[in-house]
Amino acid sequence: MIDRRLFVKHTFLGGLVLCLDHWATSPAYSEDLIPPVPPIYVNEPAGTQPSPLRMPGLFPGHVVEIGDPQAIVANRVSQPVVRRMLERALRELTGAQDVREAWSKFIEPKDIVGIKINPSGAPACCSSPEIVREIVAGVQSVGVPVENIHVYDRYAYEIDIGSYQTLVPSGVRVIGVEDRKLDASGYDSNIYCEANFFGEWETRSYMASIVSSSLTKIISVPTMKDHSAAGVTGCLKNIGYGTFNNVDRSHRRPFSFTDPLIGIMCSVEPLRSKAVLHIMDGMRMLWHGGPLSQNPKFIFPAGILIVGTDPVAMDTIELEKIEAKRRKEGAPSVWSRDPKSLTDNGDEFFEDATKNLFYRQPHHIAAAGKLGLGTSDLKQIDHRVLGVG
Amino acid sequence: MRSAPILYDGLLYVSSLAGFLNALDTRTGKVRWRFKTTAPIHSTPSLNSGQVLVSCDGGTLYAIDSSSGTKTWDVPAGGEVWTSAIVSKDTIFFGDTNGNMQAVSSTNGTLQWKRALGGKIYSTACIAGQRVFVGSSDGRVYSMDAKSGDILWKTPTGDGIDSSPAVAKETLFVGSLDYFFYAIDTVNGAIRWQHGAELGITSSPAISGDLVVFGCKAGVLRALNVQTGKVIWAQRLGQAITAPPVISGGTVWIQSGMTYALNLADGNILWRASLGNSLQSAPVVTEAAVYLTGIEGNVYALA
Repeated sequence: MIDRRLFVKHTFLGGLVLCLDHWATSPAYSEDLIPPVPPIYVNEPAGTQPSPLRMPGLFPGHVVEIGDPQAIVANRVSQPVVRRMLERALRELTGAQDVREAWSKFIEPKDIVGIKINPSGAPACCSSPEIVREIVAGVQSVGVPVENIHVYDRYAYEIDIGSYQTLVPSGVRVIGVEDRKLDASGYDSNIYCEANFFGEWETRSYMASIVSSSLTKIISVPTMKDHSAAGVTGCLKNIGYGTFNNVDRSHRRPFSFTDPLIGIMCSVEPLRSKAVLHIMDGMRMLWHGGPLSQNPKFIFPAGILIVGTDPVAMDTIELEKIEAKRRKEGAPSVWSRDPKSLTDNGDEFFEDATKNLFYRQPHHIAAAGKLGLGTSDLKQIDHRVLGVG
Repeated sequence: MRSAPILYDGLLYVSSLAGFLNALDTRTGKVRWRFKTTAPIHSTPSLNSGQVLVSCDGGTLYAIDSSSGTKTWDVPAGGEVWTSAIVSKDTIFFGDTNGNMQAVSSTNGTLQWKRALGGKIYSTACIAGQRVFVGSSDGRVYSMDAKSGDILWKTPTGDGIDSSPAVAKETLFVGSLDYFFYAIDTVNGAIRWQHGAELGITSSPAISGDLVVFGCKAGVLRALNVQTGKVIWAQRLGQAITAPPVISGGTVWIQSGMTYALNLADGNILWRASLGNSLQSAPVVTEAAVYLTGIEGNVYALA
C-alpha cells in the first residue's frame, strides 16, 4: 500500500518571512526573480510505523561540538585523536557512562547499518575515512557483525576517488548506488518525490533501494561545506539528496528548489526513521565553492566534530559557523541575493568567494524544521562545546 | 569504464562496469566481439600468449581467446578482483578483495599457491626476478617468493595502498594513501627514501631511466630521481590524478580530468585535450594513435 502526500508551498511568502531580515539587507533583491515552488508529491509506503528514533531523534535540539588542534595537522587527520573526540562527544550527547553504552542507544546487534558518507568533493574535502573507521568500530562494539555494516553513497565514481574501498576495514561493504548518471537500477520505484521544477521530462526522484529495503539504521557523516545552491550542505542534504536520485534537476541557474525539497526528502519514510545519528565531519571546512571545490584557499582545517540526532539543529549550527568564517574572510553571506554576485563562469566561481552560481537557499534548514525534523531556533538549541579534555 | 584499455594485434580490449570485455577494431572502432562476465569489471585486462585475461567483481578470472572471444578457462577467487592479472613465465598472479594472492598456471588456471595477506588487495602486483610485489589495504608492501608464495618481507606504510608498485634497479616504487611515495629496497624491504605529497597517492608510478613519475590526488604530477628521491619537476594539472602515467619516448601521458602530454625532461605541458568527460584511466600510446576510455563509457582514438 502506498501513501501519497502533497506538499504545496503556500509559504513562498512564508519563506520570505523566514528570512526577511537577511533579504532586507540585500538592496538588489527582487521578488520577481524567484520562481514559485511547484507542488511536490511524495509516494511512500503506507502504514509504516515510525520509529521512536526517527528524526529529530532521541536528543532533539541537542548539539555537541568538540574540537582538538591535533585532530588535523598538515592536512592529515589523526585517527587516535578522532577516536577520543567521538567518544567524548557521544558520551556527552547520550549521558552514557561509556562509549559502548552510548552506541547502544542507537544501534542493536541485529541491525544492518549504513554509514552514509559524503564523498562529493573528494579527494580534498569529503567524509574522512578516519571518522568512518571509528564509526565502524563503534557499531561493531555493540555486536553488529562487520558484514552487516555498509558504507554507501549514491555515486560510485566519487567513492572511488576517495579510495573508501581501500580505506575502510575488511568485511565492510562499500556501495555506490549508481555507477553513472541516469542509472536507476539501484532505486525503489515505489517511493519517490514528484515535482516539475523546470519542465524536465523525468519529474520523479526515487529513493535508493539500499535505504528502503536493506538497511535498518543509518548513521550520517556529512561534511561542513557551503553549497552554491543550498547555502550549506550538512546533515539534511547528505541524507535527503544523498538518498534520492535525479536531484540535479532541482537546480537551474540561478535558481534552486533545495528549499523545500531537501526537507521533504528527509521526511519520507522509511528514511526518516532509519537516520538515527549524525556525525558531522568538520575536520576540513569548505567555506566557499561547495560542494565540489578542490581549492585549498577555501578549505580551513577546523578540526571539529559535531554530533547529534537533530539534523536541523546541527545544520543551524553549521550555518552559523560557515557564516562566521565567510565574514572573517570578507566573503558575502550565504543569505545574500545580490544579482551582481551571480556568475555563469565556473572557473570564476571556484576562484572568487564573492561569486556564486545560484541564489542560495539556506532557509532550507528552517523549512525542514517546520516539517518536524528538528529545531532551527538558536535560542532553543542546546549547543555544548567541548574542548580538549 | 573504470579500467584502461590494452592493445594487441590490431584490437583494443576494453572492459566495462556492465561486465563486458569488448574487442574493438582499431581501424574502425567497431566491436569485433564481446564477452560477458557475471559482474561489473573494474580491472584492466592483460595479455597471455594469445589470450586476454580479465577479472570481475564476481570473483572470477577469465582467460579469453584474443581472436574469437571464446572462453578458454576460468578460475574462482575468494573475493572481488579489481586488479589486473600479471603473467611471468608459466604463471599468472592476481589478488582479490578478501586479501588473497593467487598463482595459477597460465595454461589452464590450475592453482599453484594461495596466500592470505593482511588486507584487501586493490593493487596490481609487480614481478621482478623471482619475486612478486604487491600493496595491501593494511598499508603494507609485500614481497613474496613467486614459486612458493612465501612472504619474504612486508614493509608498513601509514595507510592503505591501492597504487600498484613498479620496480627498477632493485628498488620498488609505490604510493600510499598516507600521502607518501616510497622507494623500498627489493631485497630486504628497507625504505630508501620517501617523498610527501599533498594528498593520498593512488596513481601507480612509471619509470624511465633515472626518473620515476607519479601523480597524487591533489592533481600534482611529479618526476623524482630514482636514487635520491630529489624532485626534478612537479606540475599541477586539472583534477585528482588516480591513473598511472604512461611514458612513451620523451613524453609523459596522464589523465587528470582531461588528457595531458608533458615533456618528460622538464614537466612542461606540451598539449592537453578535453573530451567532455572525466578521464581517469591510463591511455594506450602508439605511433598511429592514442586510445583512451572515459567513465561515461566512450572509447576515444586520438590521431
